[in-house]
Amino acid sequence: MDNPDTDNRGDFFEQFLDDYYAECDEHLVSIRRALVILEDEVDTRTVDRTLLDNLFRSFHTLKGISGMVGLSAAEQLAHDLESYLRELREGKVVFSATGFRALVDGVSLLEGVINARRNEQPSPSIEEIAARLQAAAAESATSDAERSINSDSTNMPALLRWQAEFTPTAELAERGVNVNNVRARLQELGQLGQAKPIVKGAGEIAFQFIVTTDADESALAALAVDGLTFKPAPLDSSQRAKDMQPVPTIAPASVVRVDLDRLDDLMRIIGELVISRTRLEDQVKDLKRVTAPAVWRSLQETSLGMERQLRDLRESVMRVRMVQIGEIFERMTFVVRDLARESDKKIIVQFSGGETEIDKFLVERMMDPFMHLVRNAVSHGLETVAEREAQGKRSEGLLSLSALTAGERIVIKIADDGRGIDRNRVLSRAKASGLANGHVDLDDSTLLDLICSPGFSTRDEADRESGRGVGLDVVKKAIEELGGRITLATRVAGGTTFTIELPLTLAIAEALIVTVNGQRFAVPQSAVREVLEVESAATKVLENNEIIPYRGKVLPLLRLARVFEMNDQREARFHVLVLGEDTNAVGLAVDRILGQREIVVRAIKDPLAQSKGIAGATELGDQRVVLILDTTALRQFATTTRH
Amino acid sequence: MTLMEPFILFELAGTTYGVRSSFVQQIEMLDDVASVPNAHPAVEGVVLVRGQVIPALNLRTRFGFEKIERDLRSRLVVINSGARTVGLVVDTAREFLKISPDSIEPPPEALTGLSGHYLEGIATMAERMILILNLDAVLDLEYENGREDYGSDVRDLGQQP
Repeated sequence: MDNPDTDNRGDFFEQFLDDYYAECDEHLVSIRRALVILEDEVDTRTVDRTLLDNLFRSFHTLKGISGMVGLSAAEQLAHDLESYLRELREGKVVFSATGFRALVDGVSLLEGVINARRNEQPSPSIEEIAARLQAAAAESATSDAERSINSDSTNMPALLRWQAEFTPTAELAERGVNVNNVRARLQELGQLGQAKPIVKGAGEIAFQFIVTTDADESALAALAVDGLTFKPAPLDSSQRAKDMQPVPTIAPASVVRVDLDRLDDLMRIIGELVISRTRLEDQVKDLKRVTAPAVWRSLQETSLGMERQLRDLRESVMRVRMVQIGEIFERMTFVVRDLARESDKKIIVQFSGGETEIDKFLVERMMDPFMHLVRNAVSHGLETVAEREAQGKRSEGLLSLSALTAGERIVIKIADDGRGIDRNRVLSRAKASGLANGHVDLDDSTLLDLICSPGFSTRDEADRESGRGVGLDVVKKAIEELGGRITLATRVAGGTTFTIELPLTLAIAEALIVTVNGQRFAVPQSAVREVLEVESAATKVLENNEIIPYRGKVLPLLRLARVFEMNDQREARFHVLVLGEDTNAVGLAVDRILGQREIVVRAIKDPLAQSKGIAGATELGDQRVVLILDTTALRQFATTTRH
Repeated sequence: MTLMEPFILFELAGTTYGVRSSFVQQIEMLDDVASVPNAHPAVEGVVLVRGQVIPALNLRTRFGFEKIERDLRSRLVVINSGARTVGLVVDTAREFLKISPDSIEPPPEALTGLSGHYLEGIATMAERMILILNLDAVLDLEYENGREDYGSDVRDLGQQP
């Protein structure tokens, strides 16, 4: 383990790559943000200069850092993007639709190239898009002549090209000198060109930079103290004159990049504190009978004070994990653009509440479901220009994405003003697939259940091709797995709105602790509508189903002991947790309810211990594991046994 | 001379087994195990180790030996293999031994089928015989003779009367 020659360098390079990916992500986010705004300026002569500058800088940095990790495809692509941007900045080419498309495609390809490396997959080919970018940059015929005049007239004194080499060492790292801040310092010095890692004789990794600067040697000597060596750079014919323009450096913001895993550690420790505090509270309660009232009250106050402080601490850490949901919205604009381009649709995308914050973990898990809903809205919800005009709607379809926080939850809406969902078609299709029979009153919630059924519409060949309905079950499942809910509102010719409600964060939840056959289980409070106490005599058996009367209707019972194949001892009285709503409600029969607790949700990662109906595990302060029930999966058991 | 490699030894049904100590995270007394409904019969349940919820796999059941009551000597050998962390429930574990790779022979051809599959080799040290486990095979519950595909049991759950 303490072999510095191999392990540490491996870690170092891996750490370095992680930083690279994180930095790429940051730049790609700001690039996408800029592109969304730039789209409106296509074909105008008044392209926002600041935006172009920012984009240019982002591409420039991506080029530099990609070179440093040796990812030449990304370096080349970023270079072509940067070159096109340079032409735009200098007003040499008009910002055309073709150019913008090349830019957008170039960015998504760049992301693809970086992700391919991250996932250790083969890199996609960049030739075609690189050629399009080069063509876009060359759109203006006069630009060459102008450029040569320009570069002649620049009055930069004695620019020299240096080749700098930096070898990271443990000693330098201790002083806080690493390749990232060395690069930043070189960038301040002048124009940073090529940068790449090299492996030296003894197997050491070093970084080589080409820097073009007018700084004198004393400035370079200051850097030499930190392990940098300089020598004149070899001449490089491909080095173009235009690469020599100084680029303003980006001021580092007062932001610290933190690994999500470390935050998870922090959350875990806080979770353990929450458990210890619960234990303390139990002990304080036990002391009540044997302690003088005044002493006991003060103990109790301290314990309650700690509870509040822990809650504050937890919230502070949670805030660190939060990112703005606008990041997802911006990505969606590109999805919409691509889809609209393939069809005869014009679509306006509107955002609101993009600054709403959501747990980073949730953002990652929500990306695919979100994408799916947006695709659905564009492909099936919104009409073509001709259809819309025939109905007297404005020709552009409207897709609005909004987010807001409501208490401990975040509410996200995806709304279109398209054709809405045709209930009759859904119903006849559901009947054809055996998902519904007889007369069914299709309110929005039943409608959603139908179109989210796993088997829905897959029997209809034509519809499968168009992708309608397929996958909505996956969307619903993903949201429910995260402890969220999805609801639907739709009106024929008026449009469709999907509303997604998610918890702000996942790690800690309120739960009911129940017992079945002597074993304890935790049931997330958010899934439980009501708790009933039931006499065994009040249950009725109907074919295979046990039911109890509930609010003037019947509630099917699901015996946890039976689902889990435990010894099912029926007692005279038992408890029922009502899960789900209205027609979907199911009663979960358990022996006893021990109480309500704040639990720390821990994932069960190993497949050996995963089981349907179990969502995770927790610990209640006695070092014993208590399983958390997966109420969604349990409700599915109930519906598959129903006839 | 070849390098000696450290192994953790444990006992199971009167036989000594060994796992490379680099795979062993820790050895624990067995506290409460929360049983996981509908899990594989060899999975006793889950335990909490260093804040992580991990499965406890009973090696006796896994290898088809008769199950015995847990006692004070029972141990949980916590294994880190690849991305997985799994606890192995064994009769007892308290020895640490350096074994030279030269003294590890591949399992004899005659030991085919299951028992051969679970073994990486057999080490003979002085008078002792130590069976070296192939952890990947041990942790892969889908590899089993004479048992139906376990997955189908889980899927059929919902249809049971």
